[in-house]
Amino acid sequence: MKTIRLTSVLTLALLFFGGIALAQTDPGVRSSTGVNAGQPFASVTASANDFDFFQTGLEQFNEHQTVTGENPGLGPRFNLDSCGACHSQPAPGGTSPASGIFPNIGPNPQSQVIGNGLVNGSTNTIPFFVQANGPVREARFPFFFNRFGNPNPNAPNGGVEDLFTVSGRADAGSCSLQQPAFNVAGATHNIIFRIPTPVFGVGLIENIDDSTLLANQAAQSVFNRIGISGTFNHNGNDGTISRFGWKAQNKSLLIFAGEAYNVEMGISNELFTQDRPLPGEDQLGSGLPANCLNLAGVGYPEDVTHSGGTSASTVTSDTALFSVFMHYLDQPTPSTTSPGGAASISRGRALFRTVGCAICHTPSLTTQPSKLTAGLGNATANLFSDIEIHHMGVGLADNVSQGGAGGDQFRTAPLWGLGQRIFFLHDGRTTDLLAAIEAHQSSGSEATVVEELFDLLSRSQQQDLLNFLRSL
Amino acid sequence: MNMHPRFSRSLVLLGSFISLLARAQGPPQSGGDFSSNPHPSVLPSDVILVKGAWSSASDSVTPLPEGGRVANNAYSNPYFRLTYSLSPGWTEKYSGPPPSDSGYYVLAQIRSADRFKAASRGSILIAAQDLFFTLTPAGNALELVNYDKESLTADYKVEQPPTLVTMANHSFVRFDYSSPVAELHWHVLATQIRCHMVQFIFTSRDTNLVESLIQEMNKMTLPVEAGPISGRGGGEVPVCIKDYAREENVLERVDPVFAERRFNPVPVRVIIDKEGKVKHIHFLSAFPDQAKAVTDALFQWRFRPYLRDGKPVEVETGILFGRSPRRAISLASEAVNE
Repeated sequence: MKTIRLTSVLTLALLFFGGIALAQTDPGVRSSTGVNAGQPFASVTASANDFDFFQTGLEQFNEHQTVTGENPGLGPRFNLDSCGACHSQPAPGGTSPASGIFPNIGPNPQSQVIGNGLVNGSTNTIPFFVQANGPVREARFPFFFNRFGNPNPNAPNGGVEDLFTVSGRADAGSCSLQQPAFNVAGATHNIIFRIPTPVFGVGLIENIDDSTLLANQAAQSVFNRIGISGTFNHNGNDGTISRFGWKAQNKSLLIFAGEAYNVEMGISNELFTQDRPLPGEDQLGSGLPANCLNLAGVGYPEDVTHSGGTSASTVTSDTALFSVFMHYLDQPTPSTTSPGGAASISRGRALFRTVGCAICHTPSLTTQPSKLTAGLGNATANLFSDIEIHHMGVGLADNVSQGGAGGDQFRTAPLWGLGQRIFFLHDGRTTDLLAAIEAHQSSGSEATVVEELFDLLSRSQQQDLLNFLRSL
Repeated sequence: MNMHPRFSRSLVLLGSFISLLARAQGPPQSGGDFSSNPHPSVLPSDVILVKGAWSSASDSVTPLPEGGRVANNAYSNPYFRLTYSLSPGWTEKYSGPPPSDSGYYVLAQIRSADRFKAASRGSILIAAQDLFFTLTPAGNALELVNYDKESLTADYKVEQPPTLVTMANHSFVRFDYSSPVAELHWHVLATQIRCHMVQFIFTSRDTNLVESLIQEMNKMTLPVEAGPISGRGGGEVPVCIKDYAREENVLERVDPVFAERRFNPVPVRVIIDKEGKVKHIHFLSAFPDQAKAVTDALFQWRFRPYLRDGKPVEVETGILFGRSPRRAISLASEAVNE
């Protein structure tokens, strides 16, 4: 009797562990091939002037800003004090870092702002959604609150609610600002998050002509679309296709840089010329209080083109240098062998196409000639995106409208460099690639059928597909 | 119209009350101390409250292509007048996205229950393409399926080229293909109803399973008009005519004025009554302000009544406002004729 019971237990255990062995899993951040992103184009390296420009852009990208002093203009509200602090995984220009995950850049820098003295702990608290091992986050309230603290669905907001204020810093004078009501927003489900989009290869995305994007859209519409039919977001001024940001709301990298400098760090510049109040302080309020304006004491805009400069890199504004840095960043280099070996990655690539992922995640598009640097021109951009916005269903909807994109529409996230990203989806809700794929299905999503087809694959086929994605 | 003084006083009071209520909402705020509110109202989850361009209609009674539902183990669609019974264990877990601005509809996404073994699982997509707004150079369902076949990439293998078959006593075009690497089989059955291609796409690893599902299609009910070329309305529903709103048929026309430049296509299906007036407007995709502007304009249009056998009949046609989308290039196709 005892023997029979032992045999049964052993059989069950074998089945259990066998099942685990067979189950498909996210291979995790690829570490075996070194850091495969963050380098300039070869054409940039080959030109002394261009390389100097790139290096200066990189320095500015990583520079920490202060309210006054050498790098003035920070605040009065901000999410962090440097581009490179948020865009750092796996190299400057990337996305949210983490400790303990290759290449071990460090904890979420937003979780460290009191400890490192960036903000005053008596006037600021770390919001509940910022964790040391979580992603860098930007917060938005989809709706304004009424004066009772209830979200008002008839008053869409959607603007960025900066996490921190300069209040209490020695260099902030008498400026006293409250942080947004994050806890109330959390309790009323009136808060959504965004994580930084990696900027490797974005110069290539900017240099794809509208005609190429439109031709790709038309080409994807002829074959069995299995539920998919996207559209483009457009720039409100000239009607051309906009392409940067989670909802493709920004037209160019220069605008993207200028807006981020203003919104994320509170630094006014030649594109966004005033210090930015919160949406509620501005649109129907009174703006920033006078004692929170011109804290740097240099006037506006705080970042300008330097007429006294002696070279391209010293004349150029910080904002334009960020743009130069992003333009000159090459696309990430995928691995042909890791993880899972070349055969698995090759099968995964084919499966990615055949189950329909590639309908939206267009593997490559060709750029037009470039005047900036040869590497950007007539190049194959392996972006894995159609730059269209798609309905992603109630499961991913954030109820924030940007340009022509509604609350459930998102730009197809470019997948290049995915192998070395830690956090997935617009709000960084998961570190598990499989969970990110599954999140593509929900009511109202264009990707539900494709996810169903992914589910129809065998476990080894699913593993091939995951290996392929982590090879990017 | 004479209004009773007491009634008008009540209206004034009601108006003041509403305006007070509105004021009580106060200015919108981002932050602040809301601790005095012990019971904050919570936004509903799983609801899209802020919509971009979306579908809408001038009334809530006239059936719409996207108005079908899965209920009582059947998918039924009053617009297309079809009913499709689901096999036991097959359900719709998630509803589809709104219609696209190129007239593509996900009508239902049906899947086998999770309890089924992997090899016995499958997916049934019921979709429609409005032939008035398709980006593909095809005039009917047959041409669309032929175009699909010509567009098939090297990743797939044709198992059965587009072939006419009879399902539920109606003509369909059937096209089968597979992916050797994915070991998946696709079986497409398409017909045409009210100038839409209506297609059923079965996908599974198991061809026997799909064949049995296809045979179940024989229990389906369809309108008389259904056929890969013939489905052009008529009878109980309006006849559908592409580009009926061309110059010679429009007697009075008022162009809509869009207050904001949005650069999106605004595809609209209208039903024109026997007197040439617009009876119903269906926006496949439009922002609310665009839908209002087009509605205000279209209800002032007058059409030449469409005559069939000398008698006026209702007509359904498509009109594209806003920006025209780019259409696909024409492919040389091996046409299968009905």
